[in-house]
Amino acid sequence: MYRKVITLCYRKIIDARSPGRWEKLVFEDSYAEFLIQSQLYNPEKKYTRFSDMLQYAPGAEKLHFLVSASVINYVKPLNNRMPDITNNLGKSFLHFQHYFFEIINSDIRDRLVHSIAINFCSSPLIWHDTVGDYLLLSEKKDNTLEEVQTDILQLRPFLSIHSLQTEQYD
Amino acid sequence: MERKRFLKQGMAALGIAFVTPMTACKKNDATTDNSENGGTEGTGSETCAVAPTETEGPYPSKNPSAYVRSDITDGRSGYKLTVNITIGKVSNNCSPLEGAVVDVWHCDADGNYSEYSSGSTSLHFLRGRQTTDAGGLVTFTTIFPGWYQGRATHIHVHVFNASGTSLKVTQIAFPENSGSALLTVNGYNKGMKGYTYNAQDNVFADDTTGVEIATVTGNTTNGFSLVHNINVP
Repeated sequence: MYRKVITLCYRKIIDARSPGRWEKLVFEDSYAEFLIQSQLYNPEKKYTRFSDMLQYAPGAEKLHFLVSASVINYVKPLNNRMPDITNNLGKSFLHFQHYFFEIINSDIRDRLVHSIAINFCSSPLIWHDTVGDYLLLSEKKDNTLEEVQTDILQLRPFLSIHSLQTEQYD
Repeated sequence: MERKRFLKQGMAALGIAFVTPMTACKKNDATTDNSENGGTEGTGSETCAVAPTETEGPYPSKNPSAYVRSDITDGRSGYKLTVNITIGKVSNNCSPLEGAVVDVWHCDADGNYSEYSSGSTSLHFLRGRQTTDAGGLVTFTTIFPGWYQGRATHIHVHVFNASGTSLKVTQIAFPENSGSALLTVNGYNKGMKGYTYNAQDNVFADDTTGVEIATVTGNTTNGFSLVHNINVP
């Protein structure tokens, strides 16, 4: 017997238009950290755009990592619960195993350009079947005989199947 | 306008802004918008009241950058090192600069920096941020740095004013004399074969007066202490 084990990744994009207090705090603090850290690679403020820094300022790609420290204390309170993504009952059910911060773009003179993404990647799930537009999923467990609680999930923009593994079991 | 905005945002990211957990909110603040915090605030006007029941988080309160901490060890193994850096202001006769923000970062015992590893949660070990006190002092608890090919052992320092504007990017070098902490640590498991000493280092070689070299004392049993002064414009 074979089963499909997948992980899902949700790319949560936050910019100046993002609603919600959590998103606004992440936006403000990641922008402030960008202003601070970018001075290391752009000391004379020769470039205003992050995209230009990436192209012309050596080492500027490290800003993804350096600015990510500003969101760590916002991600921790999520307790590994994947934000925004709910099952067909409207309930949050996914847990992320790791996350990855990236700066999409920014500008030291225009905060409205600032845009970041936090990529949340789920723990392994069993993909049992596809029902209409929905994936029938359950948490991966070693015991394949016991009854499992399932969730039905519709894929949406910025949510993707990140990895797929076919496992054999008896 | 930009400066004012930066000041506000910079202060926030530097952890200077007040962290206001929900339980610290005044009643009047809390009753205006409960939805953001996912629940209700206290309803009593007295200070002696049963804490309100809340739904499970997240609770979106203002949180400082993960850099803001004094102990930056993060479980990295190595000999304990206490780093004391004082910041002086040259334009004020090198008197202590209070309220300056000091970022430090250095490599671990094996010579590796924290950075993104492929697809994993970022690790920010051996990186920290503190604000100078009235004596211009910041203190970090960390491990004695290792070394990597082509560089002498060093600690990176970036000093900002209170509004987040860069004042100085520099590095701290270690004494290399006989009996020094550097030679005592002996590069941890690496030894010192192939080590780049300060005189050959492409950053410290021009420091003929030794102004970038810290004072380092201590031993491997009790740990080491580094003291250094950095003057900024």
